[in-house]
Amino acid sequence: MTGIVLAAAIGTLFALGTFLLLRRDLIRVVWGLAIISQAANVYLLAMGGIAPATAESVPILAGHGEHVPETADPLVQALVLTAIVIGFGMTAFALVLSYRVYEEHDTLDVTELGESE
Amino acid sequence: MSPDLAMVIAAVALPFVVAALTPVVFRVLGEGTGFVGTVVALTSFGLLATQYGSAGTVGLEWVPSLDLALRFYVDGWALLFAMLACGIGALIFAYSPAYMHGESGLVRYYAALLAFMGSIVGVALAADLIAMFLFWELTSLASFVLIGYYTADDSSQYAARMAMLITVGGGLFLLVGLLLLSLVASDVLGPDAAFNLAAMLESPETMQTALRERGLFLPVLGLLAIGAGTKSAQVPLHFWLPNAMAAPTPVSAFLHSATMVKVGVYFIGRVRPMLVSTEWLFLFATLGLTTMTVCAIMAVASTDIKELLAYSTASHLGLMVAGFGFTSVYGAETGVFHLLNHALFKAALFLVAGIIAHEAGTREIDELSGLRHDLPVTAVITVIVALSMAGIPPFNGFYSKELLFEAAVEASQHHDIGLLGWLYPAVAVFGSIFTVLYSLRFLSLFFGERPEALGHVHRPPVTLLVPPAVLALLAAVVSVDPQLAVDAIVQSGLEATAVDPHEMHVGLPTSYSPALGMSAVTIGVGLVAYPSYGRLHDAIRSIPRTVPPIEANWWYDTAVDGLSGEGRVFAETVHDGTLRTYATWTLTATCTLALAGFVAAGAIAPTELGVEVSLAIALVLLVAVIGGVAVATAESHIAGVLTLSILGFMVAIFYILASAPDLALTQLVVETLVLVIFLLVIEEIPERYEVEIGTVARDAVLSVLVGATAFVTVLVTTGTRPDGSSEIARAYAEQAIPRGGGANIVNVTLVDFRGFDTLGELAVIALAAISILTLIVMRDRDGDRTATHDGDELTGDDSAGTSSDGGDDE
Repeated sequence: MTGIVLAAAIGTLFALGTFLLLRRDLIRVVWGLAIISQAANVYLLAMGGIAPATAESVPILAGHGEHVPETADPLVQALVLTAIVIGFGMTAFALVLSYRVYEEHDTLDVTELGESE
Repeated sequence: MSPDLAMVIAAVALPFVVAALTPVVFRVLGEGTGFVGTVVALTSFGLLATQYGSAGTVGLEWVPSLDLALRFYVDGWALLFAMLACGIGALIFAYSPAYMHGESGLVRYYAALLAFMGSIVGVALAADLIAMFLFWELTSLASFVLIGYYTADDSSQYAARMAMLITVGGGLFLLVGLLLLSLVASDVLGPDAAFNLAAMLESPETMQTALRERGLFLPVLGLLAIGAGTKSAQVPLHFWLPNAMAAPTPVSAFLHSATMVKVGVYFIGRVRPMLVSTEWLFLFATLGLTTMTVCAIMAVASTDIKELLAYSTASHLGLMVAGFGFTSVYGAETGVFHLLNHALFKAALFLVAGIIAHEAGTREIDELSGLRHDLPVTAVITVIVALSMAGIPPFNGFYSKELLFEAAVEASQHHDIGLLGWLYPAVAVFGSIFTVLYSLRFLSLFFGERPEALGHVHRPPVTLLVPPAVLALLAAVVSVDPQLAVDAIVQSGLEATAVDPHEMHVGLPTSYSPALGMSAVTIGVGLVAYPSYGRLHDAIRSIPRTVPPIEANWWYDTAVDGLSGEGRVFAETVHDGTLRTYATWTLTATCTLALAGFVAAGAIAPTELGVEVSLAIALVLLVAVIGGVAVATAESHIAGVLTLSILGFMVAIFYILASAPDLALTQLVVETLVLVIFLLVIEEIPERYEVEIGTVARDAVLSVLVGATAFVTVLVTTGTRPDGSSEIARAYAEQAIPRGGGANIVNVTLVDFRGFDTLGELAVIALAAISILTLIVMRDRDGDRTATHDGDELTGDDSAGTSSDGGDDE
């Protein structure tokens, strides 16, 4: 049970991302993608369980592994870390691509771009 | 004597190996590749011949713990079919070089033929349901390639697609039937026997009782019948076979008369001991006799010699199916013996048709006559095999047709099947009359006056003559001494397919029996009706012209055209080229399916909803959502980029509060970089982009749907997670210091336990960087940009790479 606050926040972010994804402005589409990947990352972390943060609760072992601190699931953390970096690569590429599209076609309207093909 | 694994595997594998090597062989030998095929076929034949008389299962263990193995089952029936395929294959390969002389695409032709031969031997010997199914579909695939050999010809492409659709579609029914069978087998005979056909055939009664107890007998019977019926061109799915005559004639002789179309018959014979029953009798006797009669009538209506032979093939396949359908031992005798006889005479007839088409340049029946003057040797061959096809004594076709009559009579005398008891023998005779008619018509191509319109007919080369002559000779041997063939192979095939096999005796009848009377009626009526062949032919042809739906082709065309039309409309609706449409369809479908799945699984249950996050996290998330709203409503690009950063940094704080400091660090670095890149790009594009807003309402509905799905998914999935960390996570935590040598679990996981994931991630980043670089360099070629911005972009990407490393090293 993670709680309704987290679910509502993730749901709202997904909805906002989708709304942006459907815009005709290509830059806004990229924003939509970025928001959705942020929301997905938060969701992934939430699936592993969220432990409230204190000074002790970092995924770092004190001695020789006798005591495993209570944190968000470290495996999920590793996965999300990978996802954040890949999401960055995607956003950067999408942005430069939109920029190139604008250079090439002099428009950022996806509907117009779809029709011109 | 039990079979030798090495020999059996070699016999199956050799054609495949040579098929793979065909391009090399063809480069060396050119059109002589066909003779290599002959050698391969004869080698396989020889390897199989060494197993003559043996019986049993041999297998190559693969995963013993799961009882997965490549098993082969050798007995008389399997050997008969496999050796028939290799023997006829050898002749076809010898025939091909002369017939296909000067054609292009011969590598494809020979490779497909060889692969086909391997698959057919595989089907015959497979002891495993999975292997059997795979080989079964491989034969369909090879048939598709070979029917569509003339790639520039639309009608041959149409025929290839049709054959593929029907036979592979039927194969799917077979698959479901086989899976049901394996379910029952693993229950009754133990999990070891789940896919082991040989084990099932060892205890046929147990299997049948078990199938009946579970109410699966009729479904399994029906599914297997559809699979076998499509493959063996049974009415109403027979129509692909005449169309398949678009293939080169050697292919028609090999695949579409002698072997591939008999796979269905072979399979019916294979499972016969397990499933034979009253329902079996009704199903297969009716199916077979209907096919036999309908296709014989269609053959009389044919105008093309290959079309005539194709319908005749379907008709004879019906005869074999009907034979196996009759539950008495005569039935099995009919099926096994006619399988052999039909292969001998029909393959020869196709090869004769090939000679006629090749040398006379036409296949129209009306244009051909008096060919004995030009083709004397071919005429002698045709006399033997055409009379055999007609079932005239003492030719070999007579004996197996006589057995069918006996089986039909036996069924009407010893089974209480009411009206059908009369109908079966009557239909068998009726259909056979047409067989006599079209056989005589084919024979008449060689007699009578030679028409003036027929141009010069060349003498066929000897390589075209030898293969049909060998087949005719074999047919003649079986005709003179049928008992020889019975003792050699048919008897052992009978033992595998009959429930109560006994010593089989075949010979010319010496005393009167009902079956003999039926034969006499058949031949007599056939001879009397032959002079009015032309009127019959015209009458039958006029039926489909007045009532198109009676033709199976019409149904196929209507169904396929309808479906392609629907498909085109659907594709144009879903894939209209605009991103909005794609996103709308994909997201709507995904959300609907996900929500439907949750409802169907009963996952959405009213559970207590907790507010298990701290106030700080709630506040951070609230700010993030507000940032998101601001992005969505931002009027200018710059406002959107800045508010997007608010969202990103809030997420970073959320990570800190959720005890994931490594994520927070990465997120901060990434967020900063994204902001910089966005600002750089935005500098180059219009500050605000005016787009008309007309579909906001629809977009909002879709967004709410996606949001709601995400909301429900989060609640459902995070609510049911097990307490604490997962097992893998605990293991990683315990092993981090002893095996990874680091105290930070996340980082040890990234660089050590899951190092390859990180490597892949770095590859993605590198790829993105290279793509970005390429895009910018391309822009520079146009000469309208300076180099300074490239530098900035590149710096950004380089630091992206280091940022991920930095995160890892924390």
